[in-house]
Formats: sequence, structure tokens, C-alpha cells
Amino acid sequence: MSELPKTTHGEHAPAARSAQTVNDELLSSMRPPTLRWYALVIFLLALIGWGLFAFGWQVSHGMYVTGKNRPVMWGFYITGFVFWVGLSHSGTMVSSILRLSRANWRRPILRAAEAMTVFCIMVAGLFPLIHLGRNWIFFYMMPYPNQRGLWPNFRSPLLWDMTAITAYIIGSSLFLYLGMLPDLALVRDRSTGWRRDVYGLLAMGWRGSAHEWAVYHKASTLMAALIIPVAVSVHSIVAWDFAVTVVPGWHSTIFPPYFVIGAIFSGVAAVITLMIIIRRTFHLQEYLTAQHFDNMGKLLLVISLLWSYAYFVEVQTTWYAHEPIEWEVFSFMSDRYTWPLAVMLIGNSILPITLLCFRRMRRSIPVLLVLTLLINVAMFIERFLIIVPSLSHKNMPFAWGSYSPSWVEISVNVMALALFALLYTLFAKFFPIVAVTDVRELEARRGQVALGRASLPSLPVED
Amino acid sequence: METLGIFPDVESAGQAVTGLIQAGFVPSQITSLTSVAYPDGALVQTAPRSFFRWVSLAGAATGALAGFGLAAGTAWLYPVQTGDKPIIALFPSAIVTFEVAMLCAIVGTMVGMFLEMKLPAWKPRLYDPAIAEGCIGISLTFHGPGEIVACGPGREAIEHCIGAIAALPLPEQRARAEEVMRQAGALRTIME
Repeated sequence: MSELPKTTHGEHAPAARSAQTVNDELLSSMRPPTLRWYALVIFLLALIGWGLFAFGWQVSHGMYVTGKNRPVMWGFYITGFVFWVGLSHSGTMVSSILRLSRANWRRPILRAAEAMTVFCIMVAGLFPLIHLGRNWIFFYMMPYPNQRGLWPNFRSPLLWDMTAITAYIIGSSLFLYLGMLPDLALVRDRSTGWRRDVYGLLAMGWRGSAHEWAVYHKASTLMAALIIPVAVSVHSIVAWDFAVTVVPGWHSTIFPPYFVIGAIFSGVAAVITLMIIIRRTFHLQEYLTAQHFDNMGKLLLVISLLWSYAYFVEVQTTWYAHEPIEWEVFSFMSDRYTWPLAVMLIGNSILPITLLCFRRMRRSIPVLLVLTLLINVAMFIERFLIIVPSLSHKNMPFAWGSYSPSWVEISVNVMALALFALLYTLFAKFFPIVAVTDVRELEARRGQVALGRASLPSLPVED
Repeated sequence: METLGIFPDVESAGQAVTGLIQAGFVPSQITSLTSVAYPDGALVQTAPRSFFRWVSLAGAATGALAGFGLAAGTAWLYPVQTGDKPIIALFPSAIVTFEVAMLCAIVGTMVGMFLEMKLPAWKPRLYDPAIAEGCIGISLTFHGPGEIVACGPGREAIEHCIGAIAALPLPEQRARAEEVMRQAGALRTIME
């Protein structure tokens, strides 16, 4: 016989908040900036400035200022590219899956995740351009009639990347905008002066009529269904950059699903990190509850298990077949990069699986913060260990080499992180960082339903 | 012509809708304005059919053609001979075709959605910022005496298609609507 929930007795029943209270609390992030906010923006701009200086140094001096060499022609830039594409993967994907499955707990998380996707993919898109030898002629990749009589070669994976990333940037930006449409109208109604005009323009005259809502929901569902295959294809294509070559360690059929799993893994970890930061910064403890972290923790646990399985399959096949060149790459990696390899395995596999099995750990904010940051450090290392050892020890032993990143590459990667943080900080200041109308929809439906002698909550209780 | 009643809660707004229908207005004249979505039928019913998915489909088809044209067409126009590899390679063409098709389907969905919502709204329409703070707006569109309001032209006998109240002069229709809304608990009514 099932027990009635605690809320039956009315002791812990969550009371529905008024619309105005929810608006005030969730739009608090858009209040006039404080001195600390300006200090953060200046700090991030300084980091970006340093990165731009480093990039300028590379442009003026040539690629020799990087650590790249023959045979390791892909280094920190492509590591950064794969890492940021991976991070971008999860936001829209998690949001879409939760939308399609109509999981109510998704509501406070959606916006943070979708915005993360857009800014991550923007940052990722910069890396192939930075990586190019002659960056100033990057437009040669674009197909347009020109006096050179040259068109891009679509057989090159670089062009697949460009097509996929363009599609994903536009698609995920539209997805973000679609989700924000009712909130933009809400902000418009609360604004004055030029801000009202700007938000009014962005809201496109949305009134929230029954017809608008009905079409909006159908369109959101369709968009969610359309964006998932795009997200999967983008990271599969990034994986094909490697897998369609004959480089040992890369030429593997498991690469696309392995990359997709890794991407979702790092992305979910980043969403949790951002949730923690947003929760603390904007005092949203009432909305981002332990239940949200618990659910995200379970998701992270499942993906960690999947990642571990995929990695085990990849290594086990190499080890058992013992093909000389494949084994050479693996031996070189475990010998030259022992510590990074250990950090990767601990951060991606051992710690998440051990800790996230426990409900108490999934609900502990400090544990989750440390763990999710560690996962992303480990995922960056994973990308590095995929790229560099394979290039260092390819099929021709006379051309074996090694690689260490230069200060220029490190600075540019730091710039990428700062750029993402800056874009996100600005977004959170000028747009609602939590989906207000989505959360309010839940509040509007919250209530008590009489059942026999009991009074039960109309929505599942978040304990 | 339109009038908008502002209600403090969904219950009073629901009463107003019931009252308006009982007074002789037809459901197609009434819509709700809310800052959160309510289940269909909680206030008013919406049409179950929508056309925007056809725009998505048209976008996908256009994108597939454009993507294939871009990848295969350029390879055919500017051939790159590489060993015994085909000029128009299936795998890269399929990738580019897929990506452009999906991109155009997504763009088509957005365009179709806005077309169906009739947004952006070029002319100012009746609205009240209190709706953003949780109030519910019930909007009623008036039709001139004898105008068809209840069903599409040629589908039923004309007398069934004119709402009972639509036979009255506009000022009288407006007065009745305001009275119903006031009785239901409207905070205020706004006339166009």
C-alpha cells in the first residue's frame, strides 16, 4: 500500500507564489549592474585583450610561435575547438529532450542551458579560424563566385564542420530566441524608455493570446525535435574529422558516438556548474532546488557510465588486438602523459561514478561544483589526449615527435574561456536568465486537490 | 473593433467567457491574453489545426535541394580529380545536404510560426501591461450587424453563422459585453 506524501498534512506544501513575486525574483538578474559586475566585466575584457595580443603576435610572427610542429600540426587550438563544440552540445540537447519529455523540473534550467549552447558554439567557431595559418583569408572557405575561379572542396571535413557549425549556431540561436519570446514581452511590459522599445522590437508584438500560445507550444515541440539531430550530427562530424583519416588511434568506428557521449557529458557538467553560479549570484535558491541538482546528478551519472563504457571498449580493442602502431600510440600516451591520463580517468570516470551514486552527494552543492569543474578539466585533457599522441606517433617512426603548447596557445584558450564568460555575463544582465513564463506556468498550476480525506498537491512534490 | 477586459485571476476571467457566450457572443469572437500558457479550454478553445508545419516541410525540402546543389553542384562545376575517387562523393554531399535541410527546416519553423501568429504586429493592438503581472485579459472582437462571425462562408446556412448578438447595433453589443465583464469581476475594460 502506497503512503501519502508528507504534503498531505499540509505541513510542507509549497505555496504558489504570486505572479508579481516570481517576476520580481526571476528578473532580479536584470537590475542595474553593481560595481562587482563592472569589475568582473573589466577583468574578463582584460583577459580577452591579452588573448587578442597573443593572437596578434601569432599573426605577425607566424605559426612558429605556437607549439605546433611536424608531425603534431593540431594542438591546443583544435583541442579547444573540440572541447567547446562538446560543451555546446548539451545545452540545447538537454533542453530539447526535457521539453519533449515534458519534465516539469526542466523549467528553471532551460534558459541557462540554451544560452550556454549558443555562446559555446560561437567560441568554438573561432578556433578553426585562429588555427588557420593565414587567418586573413578565412573567407576562402565560403562558397561564392570569385575571380580566383576556386570553390571550396566539400570533400574536405573542414567544410563539413563549417556547414554543421553554421547550421548549429543559427539553429540554437533561434531555439534560444523562441524560448525567450514570451519573456521578452514580459520584460517589455516592465521596462520604460528606450529599453521598452528594444524589448518591444524583440518581442514582436507578442500579447499572449490563446492562439499565440497554442502555436508557440507546437512550434517549440517541433523545434526541439529538429534541433536534436542537428546537435548529434555536429559532434559526429567533428568526430569524423578524426575518424575518416588513417591516423592510428583516430580511425575508429566508435568515434562519433564516443564524441557525442563525451560532449553531452561535459555539457551537462557545465550546465550544473552554471546552475550553481546562477543560483548563488541571483539568489534563486527557491527555484533551483535540491531536486534539480539531484535529477541533473542522476543524468550525469548515467552519462559518466556511458562514457566509461565507450572508453573501455576503445582501449580494450586496442589492447587485445595489440596492433603495433595502435599500441605504440597508446603506450606513448600513457608514458608521456601519465598524470593527465590519470586526471582524466579519475575526473571522468572514477569520481563521478563513485560520488553520484549517493543521493546526498548529488544534493550537495559544493561537491557538485568541484566535481563538475573537474569533469570539464578532465574532458579538456581527454580531447588533448585524443589529438596529440596520435599525431605524435603516426605510421612513420622517422617522423615521430612530441608537443607542448606555447604561451600563445594557452593565452588564446584562456581568451576563449573569458569570452564565453563575458558573453554569458552580459546575457544574464540584459535578458532573463531563467525562463520566467515557464516557471510561472508551473506556479499557476500548483494547488491542492481534495482526495477523500486528504488534500494532495496537484503537481508532484519536490522533496 | 475590440474590447479588452482585465481580470485579477483565471476564475473570474473564466466566468466572463462563460457569461459572454451566454449573452450571445460566439467563441470565435473571444480570446484570452495571458502571460503564461493555460491548458486549452481553461479559458477559450483554440483551433486544433495549424499550417506552420507545412512551412517547416517546405523549408526542409528547399534546404535539401540547396544543400545538394551546393555540395554536388560545385563539385561537378569545379571538379577535383583525386585518384579514382568520384567527383560527386556521396558521403560529403549527404552531410552537407542534411545540415542545410535541417537548417532550413528550423528557419522554416520560425517563419511559419510567426506567419501563423500574425507577428510581428505592425499596428498597435489592445493590451494592458498588467497582464505581465498575472492579470488575465479577455478580448472580444465585435462584428457589425449581420456580419458572419460563427463559421466560414458557404459552410452553413447564413442565419446560423451570425451570432445571436451580432445582429444588434455595435454600441449595444459593446454595452452588453462591458456589463458581463463587470459582473464577472473585471478590474477595468479598455476599448479600441
